Amino acid sequence: MNSIIQVERFTKRYGSFTAVDNISFEVKQGEVFAFLGPNGSGKTTTMKAIVGLNIPTSGRILINGINIVDRPKEAKRFVSYLPQRVVFPENLTAREVIRFYGSMRKLSKEAVEQVLVNARFNGFSDKLVSEFSGGMVQRLGLAVVSMPDAPILLLDEPTANLDPQGVKRFREFILEQKQKGKTIVFSTHLLPEVEQLADRVGIFVGGKLVAQQPVEHLRRSFLETGTIEDLYLSYVESYQHEER
Amino acid sequence: MELRIIFEIAREELTINIRNKWTLIYAGVFSLLVVGISYFGMMAEGFAGMQNFTRTSASILNLVLYIVPLVALVMGTLSFTGDKGSTELLFSQPVSRAEVLLGKLIGVFLSMTLSTLVGFILAGIIIVTGSGTDGIDRYAAFVGLSLLLSLVFLSLSVVTATVSRRKSKAFGLVLFLWFFFVLFYDLLAIGGTLLLQGKSANTFLFVSLLGNPVDMVRVASLISLDNVTIFGASGAALVRFLGGSLSSILLLLTALALWIAGSLLLSHRLIQRQDI
Repeated sequence: MNSIIQVERFTKRYGSFTAVDNISFEVKQGEVFAFLGPNGSGKTTTMKAIVGLNIPTSGRILINGINIVDRPKEAKRFVSYLPQRVVFPENLTAREVIRFYGSMRKLSKEAVEQVLVNARFNGFSDKLVSEFSGGMVQRLGLAVVSMPDAPILLLDEPTANLDPQGVKRFREFILEQKQKGKTIVFSTHLLPEVEQLADRVGIFVGGKLVAQQPVEHLRRSFLETGTIEDLYLSYVESYQHEER
Repeated sequence: MELRIIFEIAREELTINIRNKWTLIYAGVFSLLVVGISYFGMMAEGFAGMQNFTRTSASILNLVLYIVPLVALVMGTLSFTGDKGSTELLFSQPVSRAEVLLGKLIGVFLSMTLSTLVGFILAGIIIVTGSGTDGIDRYAAFVGLSLLLSLVFLSLSVVTATVSRRKSKAFGLVLFLWFFFVLFYDLLAIGGTLLLQGKSANTFLFVSLLGNPVDMVRVASLISLDNVTIFGASGAALVRFLGGSLSSILLLLTALALWIAGSLLLSHRLIQRQDI
């Protein structure tokens, strides 16, 4: 399989603080790749750089072979991004929100309507976002991110602040999108999500990518001595030990 | 840049703004003030009833110079320092940063234009019924200048939003800008003339006009209302310095356009290098 995302020696600094330190990885087409790490480990910074929101201090990021810094508009056509806390204008309806983001991606009216049908809004399509519950806003976010033209989905901590029903819906969404052949990158600090959904995982600690392995490999290599959670904690501890 | 993308962003921004209660409140209050001033403006001179277009324009000039910049700065700041989640979602779409800036600016400008025009048109209808159409062309020119003033201050709000990035900081900055241009600038300019003498003081005063969009719109409005004589001899000197009425207005319009273009170019430069 071809690499659809290539991150090469990416570093991001804010003044003297290094948020992400010289990381490299690739994500293959159709793969589900999870960024796993504690808060402040560089997951969101990396994700925002992949979609062109953050400008790398050094290194380069290629989306389908296109450098996101040099040709951002072209590269972003391949990516659909869902921020950590997605908010929509409260005085627009769900249909207007979907239509707007559909127009940004030059989708036909039929394709936009299909997104609404797939999102199963039923009677809510013409209701204002201000009348939506948290779960409905999340469903709207997932509908926006699942626009049919983008082969890559980037989801930043998509299950943070969700109730169990929302988490279940998100898992179903990921499996559905995977079946459609989409490449999915999501960040989380929840291990069960990684175990259940990801093909591969990159472990972020202190702005460094300390490991990247297939989830199955991680599981196998650690089953004898503990759980995947133990492995993750051992990475964090060994990094913290090195730092001291 | 793709015009279609700019159009779609502008349309969305316009929809959001015209459904915003603050836009409606502004439209209502502005209409009341404009209609009220045009009706009661001559009371001090013992008359009641509608003024004609020229007198109304002169009466509401100060109202426009105070309110329009303030509302433009506030509306622009609200629009350009939106919620982080929705800003990130918009900029992550296959659009350029310039398209987002321009689309949002056009959307807010159109919503401000609509809510400002409600007041001017209402007053216009009442004036036509009460006093006829005399001076309607000057009134139209004055309306155009008011809208241009709103565009200048919306562009300035783009700069402050880009520089500050946080809503609270941006609001602090735009309030400072409003105080500076509407209240302090003239004092500074007059203070500057005290340091100079004779012709150089005059030249300084005339040139300083170009540093304040509020003053430029004030002078352009008075010239277009044929009312520059309100300045007395200095008004005549100003028009002579600027090369006559028509060239004065053209010069002032060009300077206002440069303020808009300069603000947008600066914002574009800043945002190209920024993390969103």
